[in-house]
Amino acid sequence: MAHKWGMAADLDRCTGCGACVTACHAENNISTVGAEQAARGRAKHWIRVERYWEGEFPDVHMKFRPVMCQQCDNAPCEPVCPTYASHHTPDGLNAQVYNRCIGTRYCANACPYNVRFFDFFNPSWEKPLHLQLNPDVSLREVGVMEKCTFCVQRIKATAIQAEAENRQIKDGEIKPACVQTCPATALVFGDLNDPESDVSRLARSPRGSKLLEDLGTLPKVTYLSKQTQP
Amino acid sequence: MSSVGTMQPVPDQVRADLLRPLLRTSWKFYSLVLILGAIVVAALAAWATQMTLGFGISGIRWPIYWGFYVTNFVFWIGISHAGTLISAILRLVNAGWRRPVTRCAEVITAFALMIGAMFPIIHLGRPWLAFWLFPYPSERMIWPNFRSPLVWDFFAINTYLTGSVLFLFLPMIPDFAVVRDRATGMRRRIYGALALGWRGTPTQWHRLETAMQIMAVAIIPVAVSVHTIVSFDFSMAPVPLWQSTIFGPYFVAGAIFSGIAGLIIAMALLRRFLHLERYLHPVHFQNLGKLLLMMALLWGYFVFNERLVTYYGNRVSDMQVFWRTQRLTFAPLYWTMVGCNFVLPLVIMGISRFRTITGCVIASIGVVIGMWLERFLIIVPALGHKYLPYSFGVYRPQPVEIVITIGTFAAMALLYVLFAKFVPIISMWELTAVQHPGPALIPPATAEHPLGETHA
Amino acid sequence: MKAIYGLYTEGTAAQRAVDHLRAAGVADTDITILSPEPREDLAFSHMHAPTYMWWFACLGGLIGCATAIALVYITETSWPLVVGGLPIVAWWPNLIIMFELTMLGAIAATVITLVVSGGLARTRQGIYDPEVSSGSILVGVERPALAAIAAYEQALSTTPGARIKKI
Repeated sequence: MAHKWGMAADLDRCTGCGACVTACHAENNISTVGAEQAARGRAKHWIRVERYWEGEFPDVHMKFRPVMCQQCDNAPCEPVCPTYASHHTPDGLNAQVYNRCIGTRYCANACPYNVRFFDFFNPSWEKPLHLQLNPDVSLREVGVMEKCTFCVQRIKATAIQAEAENRQIKDGEIKPACVQTCPATALVFGDLNDPESDVSRLARSPRGSKLLEDLGTLPKVTYLSKQTQP
Repeated sequence: MSSVGTMQPVPDQVRADLLRPLLRTSWKFYSLVLILGAIVVAALAAWATQMTLGFGISGIRWPIYWGFYVTNFVFWIGISHAGTLISAILRLVNAGWRRPVTRCAEVITAFALMIGAMFPIIHLGRPWLAFWLFPYPSERMIWPNFRSPLVWDFFAINTYLTGSVLFLFLPMIPDFAVVRDRATGMRRRIYGALALGWRGTPTQWHRLETAMQIMAVAIIPVAVSVHTIVSFDFSMAPVPLWQSTIFGPYFVAGAIFSGIAGLIIAMALLRRFLHLERYLHPVHFQNLGKLLLMMALLWGYFVFNERLVTYYGNRVSDMQVFWRTQRLTFAPLYWTMVGCNFVLPLVIMGISRFRTITGCVIASIGVVIGMWLERFLIIVPALGHKYLPYSFGVYRPQPVEIVITIGTFAAMALLYVLFAKFVPIISMWELTAVQHPGPALIPPATAEHPLGETHA
Repeated sequence: MKAIYGLYTEGTAAQRAVDHLRAAGVADTDITILSPEPREDLAFSHMHAPTYMWWFACLGGLIGCATAIALVYITETSWPLVVGGLPIVAWWPNLIIMFELTMLGAIAATVITLVVSGGLARTRQGIYDPEVSSGSILVGVERPALAAIAAYEQALSTTPGARIKKI
């Protein structure tokens, strides 16, 4: 049976540390843009920790949520791309094909989660950081869109290895960079088509909900709400 | 009462007046071309800089990924609806007062379309790959996504551009023949080639007029479809205030509105600088002014519809953008737009004392500004304020975008000036033909009017 | 002789010349008439054969529509890519492509029919006189029979002051 990759994010465990953001940058060759460009809104955080303040001092609460591409089954970013750079794969991912992208940025406007990023400049890394680049992930030139891929390079590598060893992929075998790095194991990745996988069980949790569910995008990331203090 | 027919100059005078700009050039022409050309070159340099240094030099940012360029795109495609309304619709209802005005309008259409069609290329991240929108058997074995509104844009704009250029060119053929016969040397050869060997047999005239009829019938639905499809660029995305089914008719009405305004301005300038007072009468401006008034009311109707339905629905994300335009950040621009698009035309065009040529031009300039602001206010406030507050943003246009925007206005003026230099800006044969209307146009004699009156 | 023709400044004079040429035995299709603008008020403007341009425009539209259907269907099924939960061959959006190419076909067919049936862009044209574009109407006969030239000249001279030319 075909896979349907999904994720779950436990907001009760998430501490907002931001390690997932750093890991994602490292794994996916995402360049940093510098303070000035970041202030102008050019940062490309494929996964970001959204932080909101609630209440007045001294009763201030902080809420945070890691937001990455939700790989929507009814993705609004897909039909609008004129060159099929954004399309849906058989294993449920929203693929971004950099080579096809001509940079109309329509997909980014259509995305309600604002998880798509445009390469405003050619990426650059100060030496010796260029030695840290991941050879499994292509570099994106100026003018194309990029976004979280659920670390498709790791998915593909594991799938190839499993096929070579003539076996199924085990649950928990694939770990995107953010899932691997999270110190609180708040992020879980797995096959939603396998009812016994961790991510499927968490998707069925009564604490679970989807982000902007009422828009009808059918996102595949389940957020488990924070347990409130009694 | 035929206001055009009674004041019509004799055909020789018509030809002399309308060929004068082609045959005589003053220093004013050269200096105008130089100034406009310099601005256009500056805009092209700005675009080249953007392509070399990267799109980052523009004001585009996360999450507002469309800004001035898409505003200009929608704006110029809107202006291009001038020609279709005047030439095609008025031709089909046999309104005689359109005759001196048709070519001016069709020229605006053709050039506004060409300028507007540049922007989907200018705003691309990788514009050198724009040809991938064209359906051709590529070695990559992939075709364009026909489910994407941008591909619909490509087909619609190209169809409209082809149709408009042909609609403009066909009635120019007999006028090219006139110029060919009076020119010498290289000019004679060029105009001769453009005239396609036109002689003026009854068969040719009849075929030409039939072709114009068919084109008029065909171009109206194409024009309606073009701006509807441009509106689909917005209504197909789940952005607050964008997913409105009214966008199709709203954009078409707005396009015709801005097109008429552009036409009034162009006609007033032509009348002044080419001394066409004998051909472009105050009644032309008054009639167009009345159309402008009607379109202002229609625009107000559509805006009211859109706003009331949003207001009543009271959805959180929609209302945030709603108030952002009406009360908060964008309020100054919003109320300027309402003043320019609704209040100003209603006052000036509604009171007949103000409906002079100057009044029409002032109202039209206001409408052009207001309609540009309307496009901007549809795009930017909504994109900056979608659903997740952490990702809200503010758009600040940068010099490259401003220079390119100004450059397009200069390009429009430059193309127009060059056109008026090489082609008679009023269709000579259509003007002289009005003095010999066909039998169908002369109503039968009655007791009151024994000889029947010609309807111009 | 290539042609004999007269130039008239008045439309009624030109019509008289046409009538006299017909009386002199010239067939309608052999009379050459050139005017600087369409003269719907005169009978000679309606001496042409009816045109099938509307039918050709419809045919062009049909060809455009068929091209569009083939284009969208064949390309969408040759590499089926799923986008946003829409079907692979989505007919609502395809209608837009079909509409645009239909209109483009109709417009192109109209222009082609005009160029072909109006005899435009031909290397060999009939007679022409630059006086036509200055406002005169030309009425004449091309390749007249030697014996009939005098009769034609008389037919064309019905108006005093008409300029007769022989080339």
